[in-house]
Amino acid sequence: MPTTERTARLKNRCRFKHVAGGEYVDPGVKAGVERARLITQAHKENIGEPTSIIRAKGLENILKKITIHIQDDELIVGANTEHPDYFPMYPELSYFSTMDMVESHYCDHKEEMAEIAEYWKPYTIQRKAEKYFTPEEIGIMYSATTVQPPMFVTAFSSIVPNYESVIEDGLLKRIEVVEQKIADAEEEIRKSPWNAPEKLHYLDKIDQWQAMLIAMKAVVGWAQRHARLAKIIAENFLTDPKRKEELLEISDICRHVPAYPARGLKDAMQSKWFTFLLCHSIERYSSGYGHKEDKLLWPFYKKSVIEKNEQPMTREEAVELFECERLKVSEHGSTKGRQLREFFAGSNDLFILTLGGINPDGSDASNDCTNAILEAAENIVTTEPSIAFRWNEKGNVETKKRVFNCIKKGFGFPSIKNDELNTQQLIKYFNVPEEIARDWALVLCMSPGITGRRGTQKTRSEGGSDVYPAKVMEIALTNGFDEFFTNMQLGPETGNAEEFTSFDQVWEAVKLQLRYAIELSLRSKDVGRIMESRYLCCPFISSIDDGCVEKGLDGNELAEVANPWHNIIGGSVVVVDSMAAIKKLVFDEKKYSMKELMDALRNNWEGKEEMRLDFWNAPKFGNDDPYADEIATKYYDLIADEWKRNTTYSGTFPLPLAQSVAGYIVNGPKTNATANGRHAGEALDDGGISPYMGCDKNGPTAVLKSVSKINGSKHKGILLNQRLSTVLMNSDAGFDLWHAYMKTWHGLGIDHVQFNVISSEEMKAAQIEPEKHTDTLVRIAGYSAKFIDLARYSQDTIIARTEQDLAAG
Amino acid sequence: MPKCEKCTFFFPIPEKDMDFEPGKGDCVEQQQDTKGKFWLSKPVSENSEACQRYRPRN
Ligand code: SF4
Repeated sequence: MPTTERTARLKNRCRFKHVAGGEYVDPGVKAGVERARLITQAHKENIGEPTSIIRAKGLENILKKITIHIQDDELIVGANTEHPDYFPMYPELSYFSTMDMVESHYCDHKEEMAEIAEYWKPYTIQRKAEKYFTPEEIGIMYSATTVQPPMFVTAFSSIVPNYESVIEDGLLKRIEVVEQKIADAEEEIRKSPWNAPEKLHYLDKIDQWQAMLIAMKAVVGWAQRHARLAKIIAENFLTDPKRKEELLEISDICRHVPAYPARGLKDAMQSKWFTFLLCHSIERYSSGYGHKEDKLLWPFYKKSVIEKNEQPMTREEAVELFECERLKVSEHGSTKGRQLREFFAGSNDLFILTLGGINPDGSDASNDCTNAILEAAENIVTTEPSIAFRWNEKGNVETKKRVFNCIKKGFGFPSIKNDELNTQQLIKYFNVPEEIARDWALVLCMSPGITGRRGTQKTRSEGGSDVYPAKVMEIALTNGFDEFFTNMQLGPETGNAEEFTSFDQVWEAVKLQLRYAIELSLRSKDVGRIMESRYLCCPFISSIDDGCVEKGLDGNELAEVANPWHNIIGGSVVVVDSMAAIKKLVFDEKKYSMKELMDALRNNWEGKEEMRLDFWNAPKFGNDDPYADEIATKYYDLIADEWKRNTTYSGTFPLPLAQSVAGYIVNGPKTNATANGRHAGEALDDGGISPYMGCDKNGPTAVLKSVSKINGSKHKGILLNQRLSTVLMNSDAGFDLWHAYMKTWHGLGIDHVQFNVISSEEMKAAQIEPEKHTDTLVRIAGYSAKFIDLARYSQDTIIARTEQDLAAG
Repeated sequence: MPKCEKCTFFFPIPEKDMDFEPGKGDCVEQQQDTKGKFWLSKPVSENSEACQRYRPRN
């Protein structure tokens, strides 16, 4: 139940912007045109200026002129578009994505937007980057079969903004710092004697700093616009004294932040929200909600809720504010092309915040702010933002009970990450000092990255290209040619499986196909990164990073803390199980030939049901079966080794991250029958290491034992979905059983786990009477969604997940 | 033709604000749909010709 009448009303009228079946669910959702119009106008007026200045003036024009709005009942104000039902467009990123929107029913300004898209065509990141790839490579990437289409087409990115510097310093202080940097540089270049190699680099830096100034001043002005609007509403449109008072307080807050340091929790929340809007969806589009919220807000929570010396509030008011935040996120509109709308089935965007873990000094970081955030999530019941909880041995039991409460209610979150493992990974692979590493948060769904005042991830070339392993394995058996979906050569010619005479040959073909896909996707990311730093400077994002300010560099260019990872999306366990079946039935037992197998796969097992069942019943991952688990270990090591061969933009090798988003659903129909006994078109495995649906038959501990055999430290993350019994979780022994399970999970050194706690009966009932199950949530992969918003096919894949009985061990 | 300057919904921008420009103001509009009330604000010039929503200030 929402904590207050206000949050009940806000939830009831929430302008949700999630998608289902590739479309926005709410019929009122539209594409806003103002951002696109204003950035285009500024671009035309400033051509000839340095790119950083053009970009800063684009942002300035948007913030000065875009229609802003405040809705009734809101405590947190500000949005990314001109109307609360809209999402913005980014014509400077990708021509295809913009045209996809222009041609859709979401766009009411088709002629104007088509003209804007045409104007931007030569300037888009897409046009700048495409020429570095052959038509064949472009064809492979755009087919979205073995690899994700590149960022310069999808326009997809993610970021961890430096919230701390805004909330702690305020922008006016940062403006002073940047002005001093310019003054110092001006003085430096005038010193005698003239020394070109030492002085000329200041020219670019001065441009970057000037751009930062334009951007920060524009942001302060934009917040003041909100302050004025709140005051105007209070004084001219309302009679209710209570709401008038609230609006006058909102006005005061928007005058104060982000210009000055936050005083209490209300300031900090509003300053964070403004910064989120700017970094994630106004200066450019970037997915995510990456921050360690309980760490960021704790000092202000303490001042307002506990000590009550700044912006005093009760605990209930704080919980209400966190509920308002969840609703604000739920109605925040993100624009995505069709491929991404399908990929994020049931969600709006990938909004994931992080809680828990330990502090830089090693003490438990869970505090009453953590508890209030979890309480708000439990009360308001929204899918977004999702929560990741850093499970550390030192974590207190009270907070863990609140985590359990959310999970047992079936939210699918918090997802749990192994705190020690993920902290060590940042230290070991990316040389992050331990104290900084201990403040990590998930960048998007699964990958840890640092938070704080500098060095956080600014663009997704640091991570997140996708390779689709089941399809890669499919073409490894057909000489790199896709016979099933595209009729294209998708990879190198590595031979036809009919001619393979040993299991090693199968393995080698998979390895070479993986290698090609990995290298193509890494190259596309890094080429995109260069184009971003040349043409897509982000002066505001840079202005709030201490490193960018110190060095006079754009955030896209500076990779102060390397953090590269790349995804292996949905299908890893299909590959493992298929390899196990091939090894056993073709090469060990010689029951079938490779030719027979390939004929059966090409014919989707038609007329070969007995044979299919042999392959279906071959050893499967997730049962603590050494035969399958040995192949799994070899496969996950292979992935890590293959990624390790490469060096990315930030100067080090990336780690793989096995997960699925909704890729297991989207990519299933593109993938032919597989040797694990799966039919063509059926869903793939739903995590990064989740046993294939219905194949884990030996209980939850066997799953954990199988997963623990993988060396998780070589990976950025490996996503494990588990479905638990609702009856058991809701019983008196529920917490103790789950806690014991979590201790086993933690003791085995496993990276991640997340849970669906919902009965098959409830899901089936929701399929029949969806209107009665509007709050039934399920976990997809890195995010949760309303069950009723999923396509029938997706719903069935969740019903098919094995329900584990914790009491069975 | 009336100008925005004389409209009830025109609010001049204070001089101390970052986006202050002489003659520039906020045009504020109340809207309501099935999901509730909200208020929009966009910049206009006092010299702009009034729109259909124009309501003279008392
Ligand atoms: S634009 Fe219309 S409503 Fe706004 S101030 Fe001018 S006349 Fe008034």
